[in-house]
Amino acid sequence: MCWHCQSEVTGEYLCGQCVKVQPLSKALDYFACFKLDRLLAIDEQQLERIYYELSRTFHPDFYCTKDDSEKTISLGNSAFLNSAYRVLKDPIQRVEYLIRLEAGAVKDIRSNPPADLFEEILELQEDMETFRGLSPEKDSTERAALREKLQRERERLEGRQEEMEKALGAKYQEWDELQVANADPSEARDQKNGVLRSMQEILSNRTYICNMANELLETTG
Amino acid sequence: MAYSEKVIDHYNNPRNVGSFKKEDDDVGTGIVGAPECGDVMKLQIKVENETIVDAKFKTFGCGSAIASSSLATEWLKGKSVAEAQKIKNTDIVEELNLPPVKIHCSVLAEDAIKAALGDYQKKADGKKPKVEEAAASS
Repeated sequence: MCWHCQSEVTGEYLCGQCVKVQPLSKALDYFACFKLDRLLAIDEQQLERIYYELSRTFHPDFYCTKDDSEKTISLGNSAFLNSAYRVLKDPIQRVEYLIRLEAGAVKDIRSNPPADLFEEILELQEDMETFRGLSPEKDSTERAALREKLQRERERLEGRQEEMEKALGAKYQEWDELQVANADPSEARDQKNGVLRSMQEILSNRTYICNMANELLETTG
Repeated sequence: MAYSEKVIDHYNNPRNVGSFKKEDDDVGTGIVGAPECGDVMKLQIKVENETIVDAKFKTFGCGSAIASSSLATEWLKGKSVAEAQKIKNTDIVEELNLPPVKIHCSVLAEDAIKAALGDYQKKADGKKPKVEEAAASS
């Protein structure tokens, strides 16, 4: 129902009767906002097209002469639209959002990152600590050797990051295939949860490795 | 957000920083981390006759993570292995007055305690298989 004239809203975003802008439904998710299926390979052209279309519909500039309620709605809708667009445009943020969205159905979607990764990170942290403690003048040989080691480590981590992104790409495809296949819902749910969980695992390890690579870069210059 | 005085004290004067030899039979090591914030925590216990005689930690992370693990090592010392199992993250939260956004640091410390105890237990059990084998074959 239209918040203004109380008639049934027949238009999608504007009331068919009084043409007032309507607040977006609270239940609307980012994918639905752009009329996209919950797939990870999205139609980027459609994303752009609908983004521009809705931006024109909701932009606060078009409402500066309207009353306060309409201004507030246009502002709220635009803010939602902008974050939805930003998140869906970025492949990593897109999958993170999808996992959050689907996690309602999945308890305990978080899996434990492997302990050997922590050990590796801890060793690198210790080496960095040593490196920061070395004086460029007095311990120049040791420092140069350690720097080289840390730089090699960083390259190795960056290589791993690439591998992880490849693995993630394969999971994207797996997810999309499950979504399109339209199999028996309960059976598909288990499979989907499995895919979500492995995506989450790769993502958290990737975050760790990215942070570490950045820190190594900052430390060794 | 302001840290509580206790957090600042542990942060400025961390207790029991360091490490034991991971390979030693009387040492239990727990290494845990939180990918979201990049924290990583290593906590080790030294056990004699089922009592924790010493504990050490090394944490790379925020002040609350350092304080949580520092406090954990203090509490662990002198406790029996069974008593140590009972340390809860909520005890750490209470003692350090951690704000809600830092509760995960105390969870990390509890995880580290559990991991260290588990590692020690595994080593202790590993020393006994001869007895079990003997029992199984008899």
